[in-house]
Amino acid sequence: MTDAPRPRSRPTPALLASLREGKSTLHGQRASMTLREKVALVLELQRVCLPLIKRHRRLAPWEQPWSVTP
Amino acid sequence: MASFADALRVLNDMKQARVVEDYAVAGAMAMVFWTEPVPTFDLDVLVFLAEDAGPIVSLAPIYDWTAARGYSTQAEHVILEGVPVQFLPAHDELADEAIERAATLQYEGVPVRVVRPEYLVALYLEPGARTMKRRERAAALRESPAVDPAVLEGLLERFGLEP
Repeated sequence: MTDAPRPRSRPTPALLASLREGKSTLHGQRASMTLREKVALVLELQRVCLPLIKRHRRLAPWEQPWSVTP
Repeated sequence: MASFADALRVLNDMKQARVVEDYAVAGAMAMVFWTEPVPTFDLDVLVFLAEDAGPIVSLAPIYDWTAARGYSTQAEHVILEGVPVQFLPAHDELADEAIERAATLQYEGVPVRVVRPEYLVALYLEPGARTMKRRERAAALRESPAVDPAVLEGLLERFGLEP
């Protein structure tokens, strides 16, 4: 027999809407970066993601951070 | 160290040398031109091979040309100025159109042909290409103001693709 679910306080619709709005704003800001800034972000993402991917599978030889400047 | 623009210059050189008839950047790096960046480790380039290459599709002219200029290969990728590039011969009429109607944009003063966002979505939704990752990218693109919903709808209908 399981205990009845404990009542939890929930975010208000206004707070949820605000959080979603914040996420949407972040995506919009990234989309409106200059191309050079976006390529710099891709290079940064490569450095961040590679160790994580490496934990799950063998990397292809070309899966390395690019040796380029943006 | 070379720059990303240097790799794009090589693509233009290949077109000028008629190693490829035309090209268009596709995949995740094309998304960079239209919406927010996503992680990727290679540059996908759709190509029309030169017409005199013969009826059998072969990437040998590309590999020969790049090797003659000192660019190495890793698996099926050619490393152009530090960027692994995968050349993908246009595989169907949708890919043909994606190249023909690509936008010529500028990156740091270098002209670059880029697949338009509606075609990127359509290519991601082709049955053979429908992985979870590509569906996510298609979804992200569709939320972008860069995509014209009417153009996309027309493409999906014309090529019999499911949204």
